[in-house]
Amino acid sequence: MKPLRVVACDEKTVELTGIPPILRQCLFHLPEILRHRSQPGVRERLFPDLEPGNPRANAEWHDLADPELRHLFVSAEETVLRDLSALERDRVRVPLAHLAAWMSAINQARLILGELHHVTERDMDRTDLDPSRPKDLALLEIHVLGYLLQTLVDFVQNPTG
Amino acid sequence: MMVNVGQLRPAEVDQTDTDAALAVPWNVVVHNDPINLMSYVTMVFQRVFGYPREKAERHMLEVHHRGRSILWSGAREQAELYVHQLHSYQLLATLEKASS
Repeated sequence: MKPLRVVACDEKTVELTGIPPILRQCLFHLPEILRHRSQPGVRERLFPDLEPGNPRANAEWHDLADPELRHLFVSAEETVLRDLSALERDRVRVPLAHLAAWMSAINQARLILGELHHVTERDMDRTDLDPSRPKDLALLEIHVLGYLLQTLVDFVQNPTG
Repeated sequence: MMVNVGQLRPAEVDQTDTDAALAVPWNVVVHNDPINLMSYVTMVFQRVFGYPREKAERHMLEVHHRGRSILWSGAREQAELYVHQLHSYQLLATLEKASS
């Protein structure tokens, strides 16, 4: 099996290669995960308060900040879904300018899964995952999407490899 | 000139209180969460604050081991901008008065 890699095609395009079937499955599951963005519990995680113990400041903050954040999160998802329509077998070409959107959408999904399944630090260290259990399946998805996120972070931090 | 606070109308007192509160240095605090990757958090600190990698990693490790780290202190308006940027990267960030 080829390792997952980000390869620069030219100055404006990269290719994600070696996408394993399980990651491909997780990527196509993104819309289903991201539709929970506004669910109570998840909403508080993606749209956090500004100042603990100051309800007035927090209310003003949410009025001002949340619409812009929501727009950012939704447009990142839309960008990734558009790019994914070009996915062929184990590879997809992505404009370099879209990598921030990819990192955003993938991280949103990981955080949403974490909130929906009340994932703790201890859960994240578990290796005895049973995909027939919903929480374990969510942990598996968090790790698989984390593998892609780590690969993208490594690339943007050190594009020349 | 000394101001007699008792002579001020309530609105003036409120305004003075607000100005004083805004003048206090504010800390931008990032809190730990179980999901975000350490490398991702480091990258965000570099992008948002322009910190060199080593400094960003020190803060990331402080968040990881101590549950929180103060990333920046200063004027409220700038602090709010930083918190907004950190939220856009989905980090758990809040403001607190520097004295607390």
